[in-house]
Amino acid sequence: MVELTKTGIDGLDEILNGGIVRNSTTLVSGNPGAGKTILGLQYIYNGVELYDEKGIFLSFEENADDLQEAAESIGLENWGQHVEDGTIKVYDKQELLRENDFSSSLELLLGDLDNESYEQLVLDSLTMFQLFFDNEREQRTYLLKFTDILSENNLTTLMTNEQGTVFPETEVGLENFLTDGNIFLLQTPTESGVNRYLWVAKMRKKNIDTDIFPMEIRQGGITVHKNASAFSMMSEEDSPL
Amino acid sequence: MSSVDLLQTLGNKYSAEILDATDEPRSAQELSDELGIPIATCYRRIDELTEHDLLELHDNVLSDDRRRIKVYRRNVDAVCVEFDEALAVDIEERSKVTNALDEAWRTLSEG
Repeated sequence: MVELTKTGIDGLDEILNGGIVRNSTTLVSGNPGAGKTILGLQYIYNGVELYDEKGIFLSFEENADDLQEAAESIGLENWGQHVEDGTIKVYDKQELLRENDFSSSLELLLGDLDNESYEQLVLDSLTMFQLFFDNEREQRTYLLKFTDILSENNLTTLMTNEQGTVFPETEVGLENFLTDGNIFLLQTPTESGVNRYLWVAKMRKKNIDTDIFPMEIRQGGITVHKNASAFSMMSEEDSPL
Repeated sequence: MSSVDLLQTLGNKYSAEILDATDEPRSAQELSDELGIPIATCYRRIDELTEHDLLELHDNVLSDDRRRIKVYRRNVDAVCVEFDEALAVDIEERSKVTNALDEAWRTLSEG
C-alpha cells in the first residue's frame, strides 16, 4: 500500500483517492488568479492544524507579511501563530532573493531539510525557481535533482507553475513529465464572475478520478465539489470544451 | 593576485582551451588527450588556473582500474576586462545555485 499525505482540502483528498503519494512532488498549474498559492497555503496549514506535520513554504512571489494576510483572508487564522512557533517555516521573496543571492538561502534550506522534521513543502513558484538556471537542460537536470533531494528528505511537495494558456489549449511543459503528479486549476469568466475547476491529470502510483471538478474559493479556503457533475453548474455556452 | 597576473595566466597557451573544456569535470589526462596538450604542461596550467580560482578541484573519482583521479571543473562563467579607469578584471563565478544542488544531490547518492 502506498503511503499517502492528506491535503485536508475539502473534496480534493477524495478525488485523489485518499491523498497525495508521500514523498512525491506534485505540480499545481494554472493561470494567475487560479488559486495555486491558496491551495499551497491551505496544504501547509492543514498539515499543521489537522495532521500535526510541520511544513515549509518557499515563496519567490510574496513577502511573509503578504502571505500571512493572504492566509488570514481565507480564514487560516492561526497562520501567523504557526510561523512564530516554527511549525510553519516561511522563506519569503525577500529572504530568497536577498542581495540577489539565492544560493545562500538554498544552503539554509538544505540544512533545514537535513536537520528538522518537516514533512510538507510548497515551492511558489517553480516558474521563478527555474530562472536561476541558464538553459532548459539545466532547468530539467536541477528540477530532477531538487525533487530527489526533497523526496529523500521525506518531504511531500507541491510546486506551483504559471500556466499562460487556458485549457484545453494547454501547452504541456516538460516539468509536467518530471513530477509525480499534475493538478491543473482552471478558471473561466462568466457574466457574474468566474467559474473554477480542478483537474487531477496525473498521479503516479495512484488510481485517481481524472474528471474535471468544480471548485470554489471562499472563507475557509478551497472546496472541490466531488459529487457535482463537472459542468452541471454551467450553461452550455460556458463550457470550455 | 593582481589583474595583470590573472590576465597572464589566462593568456598562457592552452589556458582558455582548458577552461572551455571543463564545463563538466575533467581529469588532467582527459584534457591532455582531448586537447593535445603535453601532460606536464597540462598539470602546470591546471595548477596556475586553480591558484587563481578559475578552475577548481571538483572531486576525486574512482577510475576503471580503481585508482583515485582528480577531476577539475571551471569556476567561472565569464571574465570581463575593463580599461576604463584602472585596469580591472571581473570574474563572473559559476552559478552557486547549481553547485549547492549538485553537492546536496551527490551526498544523497553516497548516503
